[in-house]
Amino acid sequence: MSEQLPSPDFDAAKYARPNANWICGRACDGDATCPAGPSRFGHCRAAAECSPVLEKKEGDAKGRWRCNRAGGACEQGPLPDGQCCRQTAPCTPARSLRGQRGRFTWVVIAATAAALLALIGGPGRPGFINPGTLSSPHSGSAFSVLHGGTNATDHTCAGCHAAGLAGPRQLIKAAFNAAPGPLEFHKLASITRTEMTAIDGSCQKCHANHLFHQPNVVRDHSCSLCHREHQGAGALQPPTDANCASCHGDAGIMTASAAKGATLAAAAFDFRPDRGQRIFKSARPATGGYTRLINHFATDHPEFQVLAENQREGNTLKFGHALHLTGDTVSFGDGRKLACADCHQPDAAGAYFRRINFEQHCRACHSLQFDPATPRLQLPHGNPAFVSAFLRSLGKQYADHARTNGLATGDAAVRSYTQERLQSLLGQFGTGEELERRVFFSTATLAPAVNVSTLTGQGRALYSGCAYCHEVKATGDASPTVTPPVIPDRWMIRGDFNHAKHTNMKCADCHAAEKSRDTADIILPSKNSCVTCHSPRGGVKDGCSTCHAYHTERREMVTLKGR
Amino acid sequence: MPTTPLIVNRPQRWDAAFDPAMTDEDAQRLMFTAPFSQMSEEKFPKRTPLRDILRNDSRIRRFKQGEIIVRHGDYGTSAFLILNGAARVVLKPPLPARMLGRAESKKKNVFRMLSQAWNSWREPESFRLAQLRADVGVDARTGTGEDVHVFLQDLPRVLNQHRTEAMQGGEFFGEIAALSRMPRTSTIFADTDDTELLEVRWQGLRDLMKYDDALQKHIESVYRERALRSYLRAIPIFKHLTKEQENVVVGQTEFATYGDYDWSGDYKKLLKSGGAARPDQEPVVAAEGDYPNGVVFVRAGFARMSQKFGNGQRTLNYLGAGQNFGFREIAHNWRKRDAPVDLQHSLRAIGYAHFIIVPTEVMEKIVLPTVPVRELPELIEPKAEEISSRRDSHAAEKIGTDLMEFLAEHRFFNGTATMLIDLDRCTRCDDCVRACASTHDNNPRFLRHGPSNGRVMVANACMHCADPVCMIGCPTGAIHRESAAGQVVINPLTCIGCSLCANNCPYEAIRMTEIRDTDGAFLVDKSLRPISKATKCDLCVENHGGPACERACPHGALTRMNMGDLDTFAKWLKR
Amino acid sequence: MTSFTRQRWAGLLFLIGATAVAWFAHAHWSARLTAWDYFTGWVLFAVMVMLTVFNARKKIPFLPLGTSEGWLQFHIYSGYLTIALLLVHLRFRPPGSGFGITLFVLYAIVTGSGIAGLVLTRVLPRRLTTRGGEVIYEKIPTVRRSLQQQAESLALAAIPGAKSTTIADFYARRLRDYFNGPRDFWLHLAESRRPLSSVMDELNDLRRFLNNDERAALDKIAALVRQKDGLDYHHALQTTLKLWLFVHLPFTYGLMLFTLAHIVIVYAFSGGAK
Repeated sequence: MSEQLPSPDFDAAKYARPNANWICGRACDGDATCPAGPSRFGHCRAAAECSPVLEKKEGDAKGRWRCNRAGGACEQGPLPDGQCCRQTAPCTPARSLRGQRGRFTWVVIAATAAALLALIGGPGRPGFINPGTLSSPHSGSAFSVLHGGTNATDHTCAGCHAAGLAGPRQLIKAAFNAAPGPLEFHKLASITRTEMTAIDGSCQKCHANHLFHQPNVVRDHSCSLCHREHQGAGALQPPTDANCASCHGDAGIMTASAAKGATLAAAAFDFRPDRGQRIFKSARPATGGYTRLINHFATDHPEFQVLAENQREGNTLKFGHALHLTGDTVSFGDGRKLACADCHQPDAAGAYFRRINFEQHCRACHSLQFDPATPRLQLPHGNPAFVSAFLRSLGKQYADHARTNGLATGDAAVRSYTQERLQSLLGQFGTGEELERRVFFSTATLAPAVNVSTLTGQGRALYSGCAYCHEVKATGDASPTVTPPVIPDRWMIRGDFNHAKHTNMKCADCHAAEKSRDTADIILPSKNSCVTCHSPRGGVKDGCSTCHAYHTERREMVTLKGR
Repeated sequence: MPTTPLIVNRPQRWDAAFDPAMTDEDAQRLMFTAPFSQMSEEKFPKRTPLRDILRNDSRIRRFKQGEIIVRHGDYGTSAFLILNGAARVVLKPPLPARMLGRAESKKKNVFRMLSQAWNSWREPESFRLAQLRADVGVDARTGTGEDVHVFLQDLPRVLNQHRTEAMQGGEFFGEIAALSRMPRTSTIFADTDDTELLEVRWQGLRDLMKYDDALQKHIESVYRERALRSYLRAIPIFKHLTKEQENVVVGQTEFATYGDYDWSGDYKKLLKSGGAARPDQEPVVAAEGDYPNGVVFVRAGFARMSQKFGNGQRTLNYLGAGQNFGFREIAHNWRKRDAPVDLQHSLRAIGYAHFIIVPTEVMEKIVLPTVPVRELPELIEPKAEEISSRRDSHAAEKIGTDLMEFLAEHRFFNGTATMLIDLDRCTRCDDCVRACASTHDNNPRFLRHGPSNGRVMVANACMHCADPVCMIGCPTGAIHRESAAGQVVINPLTCIGCSLCANNCPYEAIRMTEIRDTDGAFLVDKSLRPISKATKCDLCVENHGGPACERACPHGALTRMNMGDLDTFAKWLKR
Repeated sequence: MTSFTRQRWAGLLFLIGATAVAWFAHAHWSARLTAWDYFTGWVLFAVMVMLTVFNARKKIPFLPLGTSEGWLQFHIYSGYLTIALLLVHLRFRPPGSGFGITLFVLYAIVTGSGIAGLVLTRVLPRRLTTRGGEVIYEKIPTVRRSLQQQAESLALAAIPGAKSTTIADFYARRLRDYFNGPRDFWLHLAESRRPLSSVMDELNDLRRFLNNDERAALDKIAALVRQKDGLDYHHALQTTLKLWLFVHLPFTYGLMLFTLAHIVIVYAFSGGAK
């Protein structure tokens, strides 16, 4: 311990006063300090070594000044005017380090407060306090103008937030008027409920009520509970399953919804706009509608309605997937069998498939050739009247055919060629009426109808008549009518599906087409087949919003009141 | 640091007389007064004749009726003899503190506690004038400096409400307090005008006793009866004695005073001259290797227990009031008569110490047979001497020789609430000082500086000594022990600024401050001299929660430590 | 186990426990409670208020509000805890708005300066003690002036005896400035011995040109230089021990102001705001 430096000597007869804010200026320079010390306002009090006292004896008019110096009276004594003769030059007291710190603290506080006022009270506030980029529909000039602004930034906050344009003072007022307010801690726990909040009122300025979900919704549901704003540009983030389950997992709400649904006309639920898609319409379940309790897809989501109710398609076309995909009956000339993709081609987005069409997908096999000698002369497709007209002008058709295909040159040759073909047909069918009847109604797969179009080579399907594939109805004198086949574009309209995202799978993994013999079969996969992957176990996302959209696609989703 | 030898005249006894105004005539008059007239001058040695003792070690003081002579609880170094007039001792109930010039410190109530936040004086050492003039319970004060006369207020009521007893001419009082350095047990005031007292200071009293058997017998019997019996009764070893056995023990017990009563003054001179207290300069009470003459109990003051180590003395521990020395050896010898041992350690008085010695014979014949074996100390095993001595002294071993010597050199073991600062943790933030100031009207009451050894600093703060030398001689009783917990406090209203206590204190713990009015102007008396008050730490006696300094230290660096308990100190060091 | 070790363990256990509670609560409640961010915010704010109140407690030492040591322990470990609470409050994402970034920066300044201060608080006192020369900060100018006067008079007193002004010249050239104020702040803070050794080297160089009397004077001056060096050391370290609070304290209030504004804005723009 002898290595320690000794403590320096200093005057220890007085207390050190680190609590004082001011230090004698002399002490700062290391000089001896005066006993008075600086005042608490930082003024030097060492004006003189003493402050003489006037002593008056009885009868003495003037009195006499006496020195009261601390160390004893000085030799000269006070000046005649009562001042001490030893005036001390005043020092400039300095703030103690702690005093300086105190002042610096106030400076920082003032600067912070000023910065706060400038940032919160100034025009830069929206950009400064915005906790995240708004979704695209709720930002930009269109939204701003909607709420009384003139450019992309005016009034966007105020569009939703009541305090959007408030000054600092109103801001505090708004904070304390909020429900729950800043001091209502006990109410924080109850915000999980789905009551409408004040800000949902702002949503409803444009998004009227809850018509954009099902008409049997029994009570308003907080918009902002599901839709978190300020989460980035683009569409609003999808709600969470918990949001959906807050109603669909709640027995009380679902029972009430079922009850309300029962009072509504079925038409009320038929609200989907026509988007040009052919939709397979399942009737709404008579009891309850869609109000079963659902919490998770894998566990309590019901089987898809088309499968659960074993629904059949009403298409009049006579088609069997099994026939086309299996066996030796149908094959191309090179022996290759039909594949799904030969007919089902994805649409531009890849989510769904293009419609099946005769010209592209059927004619290659199902050619409408009626005369074995003229494979290129085929019946028109699509309109029975055209077919009738075609058949009734066969002579002209043969002539045109001969000319365009160079089967005969010169009028005489054409005429004789035509005669020859007509005679051949008459020999086969007897009359023209019989030919027309056969063309429309024959469904025979064997002779004599088959002879109409004898197979000339592999890959050609039989053509016995329209009715081979279509439903054809006689109408007396006029041409028969062919019921147009309607193949739905969408089967399950309450959920979306994207085939493009499933390209790693084979069609047959989900669609059991090879087993389907009837046109009426609906060959959709069951829920369980989806669950294989779309479940916590399968690891693929299984949230409600993966397939479902909350909002119905109604035009009135955005209603601009007063506009 | 090179030091030049300081050559001074060897101080002689009576270089400074108790009262220079004492004349030979006065001494002559006393020689004809009882009890001095009955003393035989021949028994006094030539160097200290009775007449010179009276002339140099005593003084004559005159008191008016109702004037306080000694206060209950004060420390004093002199005894009084009534020459003329009469004095009256207050027996029961004791006079209220207010009447003795003491502040009745009460814990602050909630409002006073809170109001400190805004109510403290903005100026240092401020007093409201009305406060100074307020009725402070002391009636009239005359004189200046130490020559101050304080009178009891409302004497008839005192006589009415308190049981008192008159003392007449020729009676001694205050001799026990003077000799044993214990606080005075009661308040005594003059009963008649022109009461004349002879005040004999401690040195004189000691010599008078030594050479006059009658006086010695008188004082000893008073001492045994008033103080010794109750003192011995409180010691566990003696609690099995019967009434008769106790009488024998009380009768045969000796007592002795070692060292210099005024050690503080000498010690301060010693410190200034750069010298340090060393064991070989201290009076030996019992020496290592000697036959144990008796069990030595420390009644007041301090003693150093040491052991030979190499060519020097290694200090093992300090014994303060209540601790004993030699009991283990005597108990061993009594049990193992065939293998007796000598004293294992030496005992030296430090500064001043008062001992009570129970002779070995008394111990062996009367006391030890009554003590159950399980209450006896362990036997001493000669071969394991090194180990046993270690066991005796672990406190000293734990804190280290250097620190031990530091404590001794500065007499810090006197403190019961010494302010220790662990410099390894102290960030020098002065939070302690500010806390102290906030608690005392914006005035710090200690200096965060002082002697240090290694990482231990003993700050200049009142240690609330076990042996408070500051309290000796306060003329108004302003400095006193708080009745409840024994803190040494100063009543600023009765303090007259004589700075006696500040000069007495060897630890620089008391500072004189010039007081101001609430605007910061110095207050002066009629002769235009500034008025000072003695100020020091009061251990936040009026505050709840203990000393503010200790509570205010954010780093646990500061503590108020009872230095009599070295184990706790060692524990604190090894946190 | 010493009491400081016990104290440290208690603090660490508290910190780990509280952090774990915050973590698990976050994992459990963050998706379930709509107002979870409000909860974490209020808890964080409450802790921050307790941390701020420490300074107020220092201003009212006369009230029995527990020991300052206990408060500091709470201050330290709760200070660390705010880091965990803030991460939870932010949901482990960086703050989004300019306001949030400002808050975060203020928080980082306050917490960073606090941790730095804690390190200084634990390291510098030991260094001061080891060096010795204990002095009250406010007395440093007085002591320095006294050393300066002693050195100056020694230098002047040496002239008549030696009939040369070697020492006085050296004093005027080198030492007058050295004694005139605090020197070598950064070197002392970096625990460098250079400030002393460079002066001492020069003194030793000078020594060979002096007679015996002058050498005695020079030795005394060297002793003063040593004391001045110790004084500078104390000045540097004690100043540092006080200066970090110039950051920690003022910015704490700035942070609290911003936090209050944050609370007001959050509530004014909350779903329930009318």
